[in-house]
Amino acid sequence: MSTGSPSTQRNTFTGWLLAPGVFWMILFLVAPIMMIVYVSFWTQTTFAINSTLTLDSWKNFFSSEAYVGALWTTLRLWLIVLALTFIIGYPAALFVGLLVKSKTVSTILLVLCVIPFWTSFLIRVLAWRPMLGKEGAINIILQKLGLIDSPIEVLLFSELSVIIGMTQIYVVFMVGPIAFMLGRIDRNIIEAARDLGAGFGRIFWKIIFPLSLPGVVVGAIFVSVMVLGEFATSGALSGRKVNLLGNIIVTQVGSLKWAMASVVGVILTILLGIVVAGFLRIVDLKNEL
Amino acid sequence: MESKTLKPILAVYVAAFILFLYGPFIVLGILSFQQGPEGGPQFPIIEWSTYWYKHLFGLTPPSRIAPLPVGEALLRSLTLAFMTMVTATVLGVMAAQAFRRRFRGAGIVFYLIVLGMMVPGVLTGLGTSLLANNVVGIERHWWTTAFVTHVVYTFPFAFLVMLAILNRFDGSVEEAAWSLGVSPARTFRKVTFPLIFPGVLSAMLFAFTLSFDEFPRTLFASGRDQTLPLAIYGTFSVEIHPNIFAFGVMTTLFSFALLTVYGILMGLSVRRAKKIAMQEDIS
Repeated sequence: MSTGSPSTQRNTFTGWLLAPGVFWMILFLVAPIMMIVYVSFWTQTTFAINSTLTLDSWKNFFSSEAYVGALWTTLRLWLIVLALTFIIGYPAALFVGLLVKSKTVSTILLVLCVIPFWTSFLIRVLAWRPMLGKEGAINIILQKLGLIDSPIEVLLFSELSVIIGMTQIYVVFMVGPIAFMLGRIDRNIIEAARDLGAGFGRIFWKIIFPLSLPGVVVGAIFVSVMVLGEFATSGALSGRKVNLLGNIIVTQVGSLKWAMASVVGVILTILLGIVVAGFLRIVDLKNEL
Repeated sequence: MESKTLKPILAVYVAAFILFLYGPFIVLGILSFQQGPEGGPQFPIIEWSTYWYKHLFGLTPPSRIAPLPVGEALLRSLTLAFMTMVTATVLGVMAAQAFRRRFRGAGIVFYLIVLGMMVPGVLTGLGTSLLANNVVGIERHWWTTAFVTHVVYTFPFAFLVMLAILNRFDGSVEEAAWSLGVSPARTFRKVTFPLIFPGVLSAMLFAFTLSFDEFPRTLFASGRDQTLPLAIYGTFSVEIHPNIFAFGVMTTLFSFALLTVYGILMGLSVRRAKKIAMQEDIS
């Protein structure tokens, strides 16, 4: 501890503080993803894989209707859930982040939205079953109100139930960032625009919405990353009718087809990379936050 | 003024929105008091009873419905969450502490850490399992492969929480201690740590709850012995009974208990910080 100037000493200190975390991420995050890419080119035998390189699994993926279909299903569900979380979440965020004058009320509402996040994810998924089922709460209420004669069966174990479930679970991740950005808007700008005679619609499209855009992008990234990697909600609420890329990975690993699981994993990784990079092009987050 | 009419409309909307968030849970809670063992997981409630709660704790006579296999899984999940909490918080505090100074490559390191919370669990779980099977050649266990993926996931949360706290933190207090010849380790223990304690507490809460509830990462990486979320997922594929609803209510109460403990500790530490600040003002 005697040699070296104070500044190099502090540099090595910074290095030592960072080293464990960086090594952990390289060993247990970067290396595993590299491994998925590598194994996607391995040879699959009935119950094992060996490291002879081949394109077989890739060819299998693109020649199978079921697998390519899962890719399209994933893209479709992702777009629908993303749109719904935005449409449903934005008005709520607008109220919580901007329209509520009292800071306390705004905080309470935000906490109310976040509390479900602390409860078990699987229980939240499961909670939709007694809601949506043929004898579920929604059907019973609709029948009591006389709106329908016979129960709607398509509510559960369909693509619709997966969309409803995912929207409810992930909408919070859209509301949070948008409300945060709206809360930071300087109220004087809005007052000034109002004094100059701008109506609410004009104020919203010219001031409020552009200023909240970084929140929308962060929310969209959160929702996209989670929905694209999903398999539990689709498995539990669709009765295995809806197969996402994540579901394919799970079934392939279940039957020890590690090479095919890896191919799907690589496709999922590429998809995520494109989506996240695309969103980051809309807004430069480094300048905004 | 349009926002005069907009505000009440949105207030009603937000009420409906919160109902949408909580609705399924309320229904699940009501159905957990279904009569047993004949009562099914749907309406109508045949008769209100606490049968399924007793069933959960093995207090009912044996019936055709097997008890949930949660006993050992619960213990494993608690142990795993504790291990993850300690590791992720230590790594998070260290990394955030390093980020208080500018250094080359800070951007890359930042993104490398944040990547851990962005990469879907199904991918980290798959990759870690492949490495364990084919490169390292070890068996997968919840306390080895699953544990490292849990830390990959929770470390970024701890790091970001600590970064937010340290950004608001006045470095001159530490420099005063250093210039008086106090060693860095002692300065950290006596000056820095008490000031950042609320952040550490939040990081711990994040790491513990996220790990305790973590499912996709654990699915591939935990091997033979199941953690609690895996045991719950196992029951999804077969016919469900209200006992799983009762279990859902219990885990939710546990989460709330954890939040309450966090709130109390947080309140205490804030009050202590205020007290110290007041004493300094006096002297």
